[in-house]
Amino acid sequence: MSVAAAERIRPPDAAACARAVADSAAASRSLRIRGGGTKDYLGELLPADAVLDTTALAGVIAHVPADLTVTVAAGTRFTDLRAALAGAGQFLPLDPPHAEGATIGGIVAANSTGFWRARYGGVRDLLIGTTAVLGDGTIARSGGRVVKNVAGYDLNKLFVGSLGTLGVLVECTFKVLPRPPVSAGAHAHFARIGEAFAAADAIVRTSARAAALAISGGPGGDWELLVQADGDAAPVERTLELLSRAASAHGAGAQRHEGVPAVLATLNGISGRAEGTVVRSALPLAAQTAFATSAVRLEGFTQLVADAASGIVRVMLRGEDVVVQGGCDALLAAARVCGGSARIERRSDSLRARLPAWGDAEPAGRFLMRRLKESFDPRGILEPGRSAVG
Amino acid sequence: MTVRAGLRGAALVAALTDLVGKDKVIGTREDLLIYEYDGAVDTATPDAVVLPNDTADVAKLSRFCHQHDVPIVPRGAGTGLSGGAIPVEGGVVVSFARMARILEIDAPNMRAVVQPGLVNLHLSTAVAPHGLYFVPDPSSQKACTLGGNVAENSGGPHTLAYGVTTNHVTGLEIVLSDGSVVRLGGKAIEYEGYDLIGAFVGSEGTLGIVTEITVRLTPLPEDKRTILAAFSTIDGASETVSAIIGAGIVPSAIELMDQLATEAVEAAVGAGYPLDAGGILLMEVDGLRDGLDEAAARIEAICRANGATTLRRAATTLERDRLWAGRKGAFAAMGRLAPAYYVQDGVIPRTRLPDVLRTVREVAQRHGVRIANVFHAGDGNLHPLILFANESELEGVKQAGLEILEACVAAGGSITGEHGVGMEKNCFMPLQFTAEDLATMGRVKAAFDPAGLANPGKIFPTPGRCREFQLAARR
Repeated sequence: MSVAAAERIRPPDAAACARAVADSAAASRSLRIRGGGTKDYLGELLPADAVLDTTALAGVIAHVPADLTVTVAAGTRFTDLRAALAGAGQFLPLDPPHAEGATIGGIVAANSTGFWRARYGGVRDLLIGTTAVLGDGTIARSGGRVVKNVAGYDLNKLFVGSLGTLGVLVECTFKVLPRPPVSAGAHAHFARIGEAFAAADAIVRTSARAAALAISGGPGGDWELLVQADGDAAPVERTLELLSRAASAHGAGAQRHEGVPAVLATLNGISGRAEGTVVRSALPLAAQTAFATSAVRLEGFTQLVADAASGIVRVMLRGEDVVVQGGCDALLAAARVCGGSARIERRSDSLRARLPAWGDAEPAGRFLMRRLKESFDPRGILEPGRSAVG
Repeated sequence: MTVRAGLRGAALVAALTDLVGKDKVIGTREDLLIYEYDGAVDTATPDAVVLPNDTADVAKLSRFCHQHDVPIVPRGAGTGLSGGAIPVEGGVVVSFARMARILEIDAPNMRAVVQPGLVNLHLSTAVAPHGLYFVPDPSSQKACTLGGNVAENSGGPHTLAYGVTTNHVTGLEIVLSDGSVVRLGGKAIEYEGYDLIGAFVGSEGTLGIVTEITVRLTPLPEDKRTILAAFSTIDGASETVSAIIGAGIVPSAIELMDQLATEAVEAAVGAGYPLDAGGILLMEVDGLRDGLDEAAARIEAICRANGATTLRRAATTLERDRLWAGRKGAFAAMGRLAPAYYVQDGVIPRTRLPDVLRTVREVAQRHGVRIANVFHAGDGNLHPLILFANESELEGVKQAGLEILEACVAAGGSITGEHGVGMEKNCFMPLQFTAEDLATMGRVKAAFDPAGLANPGKIFPTPGRCREFQLAARR
C-alpha cells in the first residue's frame, strides 16, 4: 500500500474539502479518502494520485442530550465522540471494529458494525443526516438533525458502505441513546456448532433484545456463545436466565462472564489481523447453521465469528494460497446459495490479484449503482475501483 | 404544470385495454373520479387506472407508458396525506388492489414476502401465530398498504423505539419506468454494493414502482404497560416528554393529544380520555415482562413531578386497546369538529416541543382557525390538524400550515416526518434544502427514472406550481 508516497491533502473544513475535491476532479487526480487508516484491507485498493486526509474535520458540532441526537464532523475519532457522549450519560450504539483508531466517516463509509446490530440497529439505522462532498465538489446534505424525516431522498443510506466512492463525508448526524443502567454478560460452551446457533436462536425469538449474541470457535470443536444484555436490572437478569435455559436444553451450562465486552472487541477485530484471509457473509438467520457447519469443515479453517442475531458470519482461513482460494470460493458460493451475500474482507497481498474482494457475482441492480456512481463522481476520482460497484 | 405530448384520454384507455385486457382497465369519467383524491386535500383526475395482477403486468404497462410518454403513478389504499397518489400531470394510476397477497411467511428467518397491495394490519395479524409482528403501525394501518408504507417510509406511534419502515425492509422487487424489473436485497440483513433499498424506501413512487417487498418481522413483546397521563396545560404535557427522555427512559411510544383533539376523540370513540385536560400523554413500555412495572412506575413518577392531574395504567388488554383506539381513531374523529381538516407533519427536535406548540397556537389565532394537535411527541413529529368547513377557506388553511412548517424548519427540523412531500410540500423543499441538495437528489431521480415518468410533480419543486411560492419566499 503506497499510502505514504502519494500527495496528502488535509482540508480543515467542508468548504476546503469541496475545493480540494473540485480541483482534483478538474485535474483528473484520483483520491484515496482516509480517516484513521484502520481499514486499508477493505475492498480493492487501487493506486490513487493523492490522499484526502479527513482527520482535520474533527469535533462534535451539536449535541443536545435531551434530543438524543449528535452531529459530528466526519474526521472525528470514534473514541472522542464516545467520550463526549459519555459525559452526558449517552452513547452512540455502534460497536465497530478498530473502535480505538477509526473515525466516524470511516465507520459510515465502511458500514462498520460489530455485534450490537440486532438490538440497536446498524449504521444505516442510526445515521439520520449527512453532509458530503460529491466527486465534482458539490456539497450535498441529506436528512437532518431530527429523528424522523422523510423530506426528499434518503441519501444517507447510499453513503453507508460506499467506501468513499460516492462522496467524502464531512458531517454526520446520529441518533444516540442513554447508556443502559445495567450491562451484563454470560457465556456457554457447546460441543457442536449447531447447538450454539440453536441456543442463540431461542433467545433471538424472544423480546429480550439481547445487545449481543456472538458465537465463536476454531478447529478444536469448542463453540462459545457470548451474550451481552443491556437495560434495566430485571430484564437483564431474565435475558441471562434465557441463556441458561437455552444452554441446558443443549446439554451445556452457562456462566456469568465479566469480560464479555473485551472478548467481543477481540472477536470483532478478526478482520484486522494480518495473518489470515477473512470471508464476511450476511445470511438469512436460519441459514447460519448450515453455512457454519460447512465452513468449519474447510481445509485451512481457522476461526469463525458470528453475530447470530443478525446473520453476519465471518470465517478466517489460513494456509497455502491455493487452499485458501478454494475455501473462499466455496464460502462465497455457499452464502449465495443460502440467499445471502459475502465478500472477501481481508486477504494476503499474494492473494489479492487472484481473489477479488467482491467475488465474481455482481450485486443485484449494479447498473443502477453504476449510474449513481457516474452521476455523483463524474470524473471517477473517488476511490476508483474500491467498492463492489467500482 | 408540465405538458407532455404523450398519449392521453380515450385513446390511452383504448390502447391500455388492448395491452392488458378490459378487466384490468378503468377508463370511464365517473369511475376515474374515485381516483382523483387521496387522504390529503389536492386532487387531479387520471386518464386511466390499471389494476395489474402481477409484476409482469406492471412491467408491460411501464414499458408501454415509457414508449408513449405517459406518467405512471402507483396507488395503494389512497390513505396518503401528501397527495402522493394523485396524478398531478395526468396519465395512468396503477392500483394494487389485486396484488395484495402474502407470498411467504418465513418464520425461521423472521421475514415475510408480500405484495404491495397488502394491508399493513393484515400482515401483523397473519404472522402473530408465529409470535411475530411488523413494527411500523401507522394510524391508518387498518387500511393503508405495505406498498404505500414503502413509498412513504411510514412510521406510527411505536417507531420511537423500533424504527420506521426503512428499518424493516430487506428486499424489494421494483419496476423502473422503462419497464425493467430489478430485484434488490433479500432475506439477509444487508447485501454488497450501494444500499439502493435505503434510497428507494421513502421515494414516493418517483424512482419506480415496488411490486414485491421482503420485510423484517420482530418478536412480539412478551408484555406491555400502557399509561395515560393528563395535564392541565399542553405545555405541562410537552415538558414532561423532555423530562422522560432526559431521565434516560426511551418508551416504545409517547403520543400527545391536546384538548380539542380529546374532545373529538371522546365524542367519536369514547376512549375514556379526561375532557378537562389541556394535554394528554399516551405512553407505552414493552418487552420482557420483567421490570415493566418498575419502568412504568418511573414514568408515572416523572409525570407526577411535572404536574399530571390524572394517571391511569391500563389493567387489561381491553383497556389498552381502548386507549389506543382513541389515538388511532383521532384523525377520523375530527369529523365531529369540522367537515374537513388539513394535517401537517413537521418534525422538530424534541426539546423544542413547548415553544413550537406555542407558535402553532399563534398561527391559529392569526388565521382565525382551530387547530387540534395529535402527534408522536417522543419523536418530535407534530400533526397539527387545521380544521375548516369549505373549499373557500383552503388557501388560508394552507398558509397556516406553511407557517407551521417554517417554524419547524427554523427550530432545526423537517417539513415532513412520515407523510411524505408529495405534491403538497414539494414547493416547500427549498425551506429545508439548498439548490445543491435538491440537485443531488435529482441525480438519484435521473439514475432510476431518466424519462421522468415515475410519479412526476412530486418531491421536487416544479416551476409551474411553485412559482408563486418562490416569489412569496423572495419578498
